[in-house]
Amino acid sequence: MKTLTPLVVAMAVAAFAAVAAQQQSSKGWTQPRTPDGQPDLQGIWTNYTSTPFEVPDEGDRPDFYAGDVDGTGRGTGPSSFLTDTSDRKLAKARSLVVDPPSGRVPIMPWAEEARNYRLTHIQDDWVNFTPWERCITRGVPGGIFPAGYGSGYQILQGAGYVAIVYEMIHEARMIPIDGRPHLGSSFRLWNGDSRGRWEGNTLVVDITGYNDKGTVATNVATQRVRAIPQSEQLHAVERFTRVDENTIDYEVTIEDPKVFTSSWKVAMPLHREPDYQLFEYACHEGNRAVPNTLSAGRAKDREARAASSR
Amino acid sequence: MQNWLKGAAIALVSIGGTIAVSQMLRSPVEGRAPDVNALRTADGKPDLNGIWQAVGSANWNLLDHQARSGPVLELGAVLAVPAGLSVVEGNEIPYQPWAAAKQKENYENWLSRDPEVKCYLPGIPRATYMPHPFQILQTASNDILMSYEYASANRVIKMGKTEPPPVDTWMGQSAGHWEGDTLVVDVTGLNDQTWFDRAGNFHSEALHVVERFTPMSPDVLDYQATIEDPKVFTRSWKIQMPLYRRQEKRAQLLEFKCVEFVEELMYGDLRKKTGKEPKFSAARLRWP
Repeated sequence: MKTLTPLVVAMAVAAFAAVAAQQQSSKGWTQPRTPDGQPDLQGIWTNYTSTPFEVPDEGDRPDFYAGDVDGTGRGTGPSSFLTDTSDRKLAKARSLVVDPPSGRVPIMPWAEEARNYRLTHIQDDWVNFTPWERCITRGVPGGIFPAGYGSGYQILQGAGYVAIVYEMIHEARMIPIDGRPHLGSSFRLWNGDSRGRWEGNTLVVDITGYNDKGTVATNVATQRVRAIPQSEQLHAVERFTRVDENTIDYEVTIEDPKVFTSSWKVAMPLHREPDYQLFEYACHEGNRAVPNTLSAGRAKDREARAASSR
Repeated sequence: MQNWLKGAAIALVSIGGTIAVSQMLRSPVEGRAPDVNALRTADGKPDLNGIWQAVGSANWNLLDHQARSGPVLELGAVLAVPAGLSVVEGNEIPYQPWAAAKQKENYENWLSRDPEVKCYLPGIPRATYMPHPFQILQTASNDILMSYEYASANRVIKMGKTEPPPVDTWMGQSAGHWEGDTLVVDVTGLNDQTWFDRAGNFHSEALHVVERFTPMSPDVLDYQATIEDPKVFTRSWKIQMPLYRRQEKRAQLLEFKCVEFVEELMYGDLRKKTGKEPKFSAARLRWP
């Protein structure tokens, strides 16, 4: 080629500008990449925040949602326990739920009733606990909602996979990014079936194939949404975008036409904390909460029987 | 160094290493040196990425064991114990006398004592040869993830120098380094709650495990683990077995969240009876 036409030059400049804009934030930070060219999300991340999950409402019953169903302080404890007391708040959000704009999750009434039944009957049967208290899983995406402790996540990237190691409850989520299809409807999993892909610098993870035994959120910090059931129609789409050296913007859109009247979205940052140490959260191995709670229920039954026979 | 020269040097080091190892114990796979043509990552390390599984019955018993009836009469041939050759060098675990007695007692009380029955974390080395696959993910950041299908157990192997473990745990702390084509993992900080198998072989919190993963071909790893625990054994001892790559095109780890399968066993007598719960007939147990 003897001369560059102005059009070619203009296209090249535009393409370069687009790439530069994609790779460089306004502060001059450049998106690091793995040797095979993926945006590099690796490292240890935490999700501390004391921004409430939903925008509070006068009708909310925070202690009830936390499991203190009779106002005695029993159950999982008052809502002030096991929530984040750090001073980190999101500067520009009233709540982690950003859509609908009200900041309130559009829960169907039957699902709130199902939650109320669960919370008031944990002394009857372990299935009324959330899968977190049963030490099965905090769920996907529930496992990444702030819980106040056990808040470490390690992201690792290698051949065809992004892996997320959850400190609580010791899970390594293997997300294939090789374009393979979902498992199919014969699989109904607690955490669904994750499939990832890159859209620009954003890792997009599509999750389907859930069972209907779990709950969409498990921990006290999620307040009204804690212990809300999930159906087999649950579908979540997560987006992980690293926006600077120390921050991943995390978003998840959740739809479940059996449980919610519309889809809803959570947005929150993950903070890079290289010195944070993930500890083993051996949950089931030390689970006294479930047997002690059931045992208390049976003791109450015996008292009631004794009282009625007097 | 030119590439052919480098390759030849690696081959020589590998072969040298193999000869040295084979003088100490039987060669990893009879008559075969580690395969220098095994897959490699971009930085030239053996590529261990993939889904692996031990085949055999080491999880039933690390030592030579004959087939025998299982613990539940009604299950007949199902869940009867398969026979297996020892994976322990010399077919002997060098217990101190008190510990040999305790192992025997553990064996006799297998169902009430084996942490696997309760879906507890398997520890190392047992995680490797549970009858479930596990996935290895090598990363550019250097850490190596091992994710086990059983009970969602996992460990991140930190490559290079690490601080001593701050506390004992079920899965311990794993520090890795490469010796030629072998991934060597030094595991410390293990608690005394896990077992080696379903035969009551056990250890204390003084357990120290050094594992060696060596590719024999793109689809076979030689796995060795040296086990020392001065509170329980009179000397260190060694296990060795092959790990095979799962070949299915769609191979992936699935969920084996077994807590759900043991709740009835562990908490069933504490459940409020409604008359709708599943009926269980009294199983006729016989063990040992």
